[in-house]
Amino acid sequence: MGWSIGVDVGGTFTDFYATNTDSGQVVVGKTPSTPANPADAILTGLRALCDDSGIDERAIERLSHGTTVATNTLIQRKGGTVALVTTYGFRDLLEIGRQTRPHMFDLYQDHPPPLVPRAHRLELAERVGPEGEVLIAPTSADIDAVVDAVRASGASACAVGFIFAFRNGAHEQQVRDALQARLPDVAVSISSEVQPEFREYERLSTTVLNAYLQPIMGAYLARLEQAIGERAPDATLGINQSSGGLMSPARARALPVRTALSGPAAGAVGAAHAAKETERRNVITLDMGGTSADVALIRDFQADLTYDRDVAGFPVRLPSVDIETVGAGGGSVAWFDRDGLLKAGPLSAGADPGPACYGRGGEQPTVTDANLLLGRLSARGLLNGQMALDQARARAAFAPLAEKLGFSVERTAHGVLGIVVANMVRTIRTISVERGHDPRTFVLMPFGGAGPLHAHEVAVSLGIDELLIPASPGIVCAQGLVVSDLKEDFVASARTRVDTSGMQALTAAAAQLLEQANAWFASEQADADGQHLELGVDARYVGQNFELSVALASGTTLTADDLPDTAALHARFCAAHETAYGYASADDPIEVVNVRLAARARLGAVPTAGSSTAPDEPPEPIEHRDVHFAPDAPVSTAIYARSSLEAGHRIAGPAIIEQLDTTIPVYPGAIAEITAAGHLIIKLSAAEEGSA
Amino acid sequence: MNQATDDLGLDPISLEIIGNGLRSIADECFVALMRSSYSTNIKERRDHSIAIIDPKGRLVVQAVEALPIHIASMSGLMECLLEKFAGRIEEGDIFVANDPHTAGGTHLPDINYAMPIFIEGELTAFICNIAHHADVGGMAPGSMAGGMSEIYQEGLRLPVVKLFRRGELQTDIFDIMLLNVRVPDERRGDHNAQIAACNLGARRFAEVVQTHGLARVRGAFDEIMRRTEARMRDGIRSIPDGVYTFEDAMDGDGVRTLDVPIKLTLTIADDRAHFDFAGTSEQVTGNVNTTMNATSASVCYALKAVLDPEVPSNQGVIDVADISIPIGTLLNSVFPAPVAARAHTCQRIIDVVLGALAQALPGRVTAAANGANTTAVFAGVDPRNGEAYLYLETLGGGMGARPTKDGKDGVQVGITNTSNLPVEAIEQEYPLRVEEYSLVEDSGGAGCFRGGMGLRRVVTPVAHNCVFNGVGERFRHQPWGLAGGAPGASGQFLIRDGDGERRLDDKPGEVEVPLHTRIVIETPGAGGFGAPGERDAEALREDADSGKFTAAFVARFYPEAAGAD
Repeated sequence: MGWSIGVDVGGTFTDFYATNTDSGQVVVGKTPSTPANPADAILTGLRALCDDSGIDERAIERLSHGTTVATNTLIQRKGGTVALVTTYGFRDLLEIGRQTRPHMFDLYQDHPPPLVPRAHRLELAERVGPEGEVLIAPTSADIDAVVDAVRASGASACAVGFIFAFRNGAHEQQVRDALQARLPDVAVSISSEVQPEFREYERLSTTVLNAYLQPIMGAYLARLEQAIGERAPDATLGINQSSGGLMSPARARALPVRTALSGPAAGAVGAAHAAKETERRNVITLDMGGTSADVALIRDFQADLTYDRDVAGFPVRLPSVDIETVGAGGGSVAWFDRDGLLKAGPLSAGADPGPACYGRGGEQPTVTDANLLLGRLSARGLLNGQMALDQARARAAFAPLAEKLGFSVERTAHGVLGIVVANMVRTIRTISVERGHDPRTFVLMPFGGAGPLHAHEVAVSLGIDELLIPASPGIVCAQGLVVSDLKEDFVASARTRVDTSGMQALTAAAAQLLEQANAWFASEQADADGQHLELGVDARYVGQNFELSVALASGTTLTADDLPDTAALHARFCAAHETAYGYASADDPIEVVNVRLAARARLGAVPTAGSSTAPDEPPEPIEHRDVHFAPDAPVSTAIYARSSLEAGHRIAGPAIIEQLDTTIPVYPGAIAEITAAGHLIIKLSAAEEGSA
Repeated sequence: MNQATDDLGLDPISLEIIGNGLRSIADECFVALMRSSYSTNIKERRDHSIAIIDPKGRLVVQAVEALPIHIASMSGLMECLLEKFAGRIEEGDIFVANDPHTAGGTHLPDINYAMPIFIEGELTAFICNIAHHADVGGMAPGSMAGGMSEIYQEGLRLPVVKLFRRGELQTDIFDIMLLNVRVPDERRGDHNAQIAACNLGARRFAEVVQTHGLARVRGAFDEIMRRTEARMRDGIRSIPDGVYTFEDAMDGDGVRTLDVPIKLTLTIADDRAHFDFAGTSEQVTGNVNTTMNATSASVCYALKAVLDPEVPSNQGVIDVADISIPIGTLLNSVFPAPVAARAHTCQRIIDVVLGALAQALPGRVTAAANGANTTAVFAGVDPRNGEAYLYLETLGGGMGARPTKDGKDGVQVGITNTSNLPVEAIEQEYPLRVEEYSLVEDSGGAGCFRGGMGLRRVVTPVAHNCVFNGVGERFRHQPWGLAGGAPGASGQFLIRDGDGERRLDDKPGEVEVPLHTRIVIETPGAGGFGAPGERDAEALREDADSGKFTAAFVARFYPEAAGAD
């Protein structure tokens, strides 16, 4: 029997989620992360997991890995030494960027300095025009001189980014070939391969980030592959991408920038899986930890993607799960601003010293302290009593705030939570309402240690009436890795109007992408029935400069004939525009900018867990304590251990459900029910009762 | 907190939560307008703003990313609107205006929209937006060119009018608006985006009122502005009492006047700041005049940037700046003064305010930045389709050196923070080629911390002859340094052809650019901070190694370091 294991490396812990592909048995594990070499924690934790659970390492078939190596390398600026080759006249583009500053009024805030110093930014006399036509062909002497300069720079990686290379990458390829021939140890990233899309600065930035990460990711994966190969020779290693799908280590070495948001993307995939298991088609995820909260949208069981975002202050133009982050976590500190208004976050007490109630020297009032003061968190503390929480310290931290406001400590704590909730609500609105989606038609799925504590009030503010809390809210990411597909995103730049001749160009571009996808399926030896393709375009009204992504066709097999005709494409674009911006101009011409194809190859069957036989006995509370659901009136509340709950159990609020990695309040009037797969559904108002 | 706000339960927590809801409305409308408009100025360069205004015309909330110049423009529009339409404001109305002299605008391309929001039949607020249209008619494409002497020449003037009357589009007005602009189809798209943003904001506002209650939201309006003003006054109290004067000069008005002085006497007394611009030039013939609203916005920008960058942008900020300027002068101009290029003057007002504050708060104020809004406009007929085109862009330059670090290179400063247009967008949309986009070497003023560098763009027409219009400032009066720092380089427009390169006027109008001819745009750098002799050796090595500064420059400004090598 075989095992599929998901390993998610986080800042504090490395999480494991192992599932037996035959029996569906699930084993989870957790080990402290080792930031200096993240592979150490993976290997230690893997051994412990196997030893504890009697898993034969040789029976591991798949090891799927969510990594923060790329993210941390960028944040800490510890990547390779990079040289850059640009079109003549454009070596400063990387530094100029979009000529903006990050803050309108702050005279001291700057974008981070470029990853390639000016002396290592080289120019080549070459030029391609807007139609891909060659205006200036580079001479071999000039290319040789550039290669010499790259060698002299001592760079371990070289990025090449030319104007209009997304239309015609021949010059970039020439330079790459020359570099590889003469400097085989230098990793090369060319913009026409990393992301062949319009807008030179974002493409260049993405390419430079990729080059910057190549040496680091290459070394990391080599170590990891070797160690895994010795221990689990039959395990296929998959690396999670920002867009929520796995790629082979070889692809990850070539395109490490695709892992810049690997971890959070796994969370979205895990959440999507829980959504499927509970048949909740549209879900807003709220992953709240110690310092921040990530929110994302899942529609039709799939996480929404974005094609444009920043990582560590640098733009990355690649498909990634559309996650917004807000500085709202358990450690977020409450403080008075200069105008006397109370704020919460983004400053966080983090894990060290942590909230005041941890008793590790933190003295500032935090969100976790507020939850403790209101009885929502137990003084027995997190992690099954391994770390008691000090109520007196929490009270002392909140006393000055309460005094200044003239409120009780509890009312103050309640107010702080209200502000944190408002901040999260505002962020959720940016990914839902601002994208044209009505949150009231979604279910809210909180996870992470602090998510479930605040989900009820977030949902109420957004008009959401149901919560879905996954079985193991602390390891949703690791679980997501186990259920991930192999994925490859293809893009072709094809700027053309949507008319008869334009459709020919689109059909040709789609055919070319489908060919690439089929080659990829073959190279990954994907089973025919596990293949899935999604074809779409980025389009806009002629004259607009922002594109909307419009899905066109999907299925196990596609041909270019599956493209809709001009009228249907036009109609779909107008519908998407109406959704996103509230209006559409049915008579205005539209143009396509990119054609996109996402290819997925399913990796084995996804095991489904659990039975749905109704339990004989109702659940027994472990204790009762006073909990403040409203500011001033505590209610005696039954406390349950989630480990004692079985599928079919129902709990009416007020109640608190505690588990190893989170605490879940069930508000008065709400009803919680355990699903067959072990997830928890909470209906906010009893009127909705019975529909689960 | 006073008794009234107490009764409404407007404690610091509720206020924060209601304020959050209002900011969310402004930000959502900001994004919606940006994404659905047609003008590149709005789409790519974010030259637009959203505001929520109370029934008295006071600014309650501005979108976080809104342009500072727009802060007072909204108030200006509202003042005129409330006066003109007193008692005649109805549900479903949408007002539109742009005129600086009769409708509170700051220049004609900025089209202001205001929609009253009625809750339970009562006027509760206005949702407003401003967007910079690529063209509003007038003598020259882009409606920003210099060389004109009356506002009529700058484009279509709109007094405050009802474009929608009780929900009904006044098509005759709309037709006039569109007939008078170049590329009307695109402008129609921009107007539609602005109208949609009004409707969206009104809808969202009603939702916020539903959540928190009308009385509390209204109470929050007053309390938010009151607290912001108190916060700003605290900041002013941190400035030592005294009288500080500073004077700078604009290069010229592009028509007949050179060296246009701007003079400030700043008096700080406890929590009051009085800005007296007596001694400033009379209004000029060319288009660098500002109206009072634009001047006020600039002063507010400088105050906020120095004292409290995070303070919310609302009426509380506007109200603390007590400004005196004689009517009919450069900074408080009256009809028929042309004002299209007012952004340059706004930048200079900021420099002057910073210059005065630098004396009061040494170590907190930056040296002069590129102090301009260098504008380049290319126009012609696209040989690919025979259609007229117009490409307008404003370029950044050096940011002034700071007391703790170098100024940033090639960046927008002051009241503007608009993005550039990607070269690949320019070349796909217009028959133009961009041959160079770079930093101008030696343009950052020397100092312990050096000033930022200017930008260079080289543009040439493809398969046709085009016309170039430009507006430059600090092309003669260099950006000054502070505390011993050297001034930054000035900017210039050049025309380059087979015969070589020659400098154009600083505000050139209608320059013919034949095939194979290049326009070179070089924007100003910025001033340095502190004596060059104190510059760190490592930083100096980077200046030279990067190629940003020539050996000659280093030898001239850092002789000790150069000699030591």
